[in-house]
Amino acid sequence: MHIQLPKDLRAQILAHLQSAYPNEGGGFLMGDISGDSATLIDHSPVKNSFAEAEQFHRYAMTPLEYAKHEDAADERGLTLLGWYHSHPNSPAIPSAYDLNAAVEGTGVNFLWLIAQVNDGQAVDLRAYRLRADKTGFDTLELITSD
Amino acid sequence: MPSIKIPTPLRVYTGNNAQVTVSGDTIRAALDDLTTQFPDLKPHLFNNSELRSFVNIFVGDEDIRFLDGLDTPVEAGDALRIIPSIAGGQNVPRRIDQTGLKVGQASTIILLLVSFILNLWPLVLFVGIAQLLGALNSPYAPFKLFYENVLKPREVVKPNLQLDNPEPHRFAMGVGAAFNFTATLALLTGAGALGWVLVWVVIALANLNFWLNFCLGCAVYYQLNKLGLPGFTRSPLS
Repeated sequence: MHIQLPKDLRAQILAHLQSAYPNEGGGFLMGDISGDSATLIDHSPVKNSFAEAEQFHRYAMTPLEYAKHEDAADERGLTLLGWYHSHPNSPAIPSAYDLNAAVEGTGVNFLWLIAQVNDGQAVDLRAYRLRADKTGFDTLELITSD
Repeated sequence: MPSIKIPTPLRVYTGNNAQVTVSGDTIRAALDDLTTQFPDLKPHLFNNSELRSFVNIFVGDEDIRFLDGLDTPVEAGDALRIIPSIAGGQNVPRRIDQTGLKVGQASTIILLLVSFILNLWPLVLFVGIAQLLGALNSPYAPFKLFYENVLKPREVVKPNLQLDNPEPHRFAMGVGAAFNFTATLALLTGAGALGWVLVWVVIALANLNFWLNFCLGCAVYYQLNKLGLPGFTRSPLS
């Protein structure tokens, strides 16, 4: 599968995650999906609801935030395709914690964008989806478009 | 009849229906009906018969965890909702204060030497208890308290944080404790020679660790990890 990410949207997502540094930031991704291609159209930053002292390595949203943003996407005729979050000073690679959250919660039909943010600067952004056997993530092709 | 809103990632299992009408007078019954209508949904909601840990069920704006769980009553017209938890986070490399370990090793060496010179089995027992508390990562571990509350604040020694796994060191402390408890028993039951041999084994291994940074207990732990023994889950850091 490949993901089309307009460069303006990419810039907005990364700017948000940089502003969350040194904590993890995150939000939802909305767009359209057709066959093996997904186009990201918009994003919604969502406040990190994890305990403040843990936010340097943990991010979570409340369920009611999820509901609010899913309803908004549905009303706009967009699909809630996935979500993004940052790893401050750490690689943009899914962790064991990420894997457990995907296996136990969002499942295989949800995109994960992870950004590495070093010292307040985003240096890497990658896209993933949980493998069908739920043993890990597949890396997806992320294409930044005009 | 109540309805359930299906989260986007799971709509593929409900024929892309975002809303499904269900029957049932409890959450459990409603979910049973839902997964009877759409069997492919079931493994994504349940792990055996338990709701998956990151699956939230709401009645209106209320999480069933704060109601009666799966036994929460449901009425006709109730709006139920399945919401997956959204959470993530990086692996944070763990660091151990090597100075704290050195303080423990030095304390062990000194106290056991004193116990041998003065023939004091209570001191052997005390060191064993201290090591056991260290192995259990207790906040009352004496050597840790000594380091954190006496030495560190006075800057007698400086912290030295290094990437490392704490589990092998705790295992080594546990083995040391076992040796010291056995030694205490031997000293109390007239097997003095055996007792002091065991104490000297601990003194020797603590010295190996203190001066040469070789932790035999840690090496044993990693071998047991390599053999796949349950409980020995940490591999050496690459």
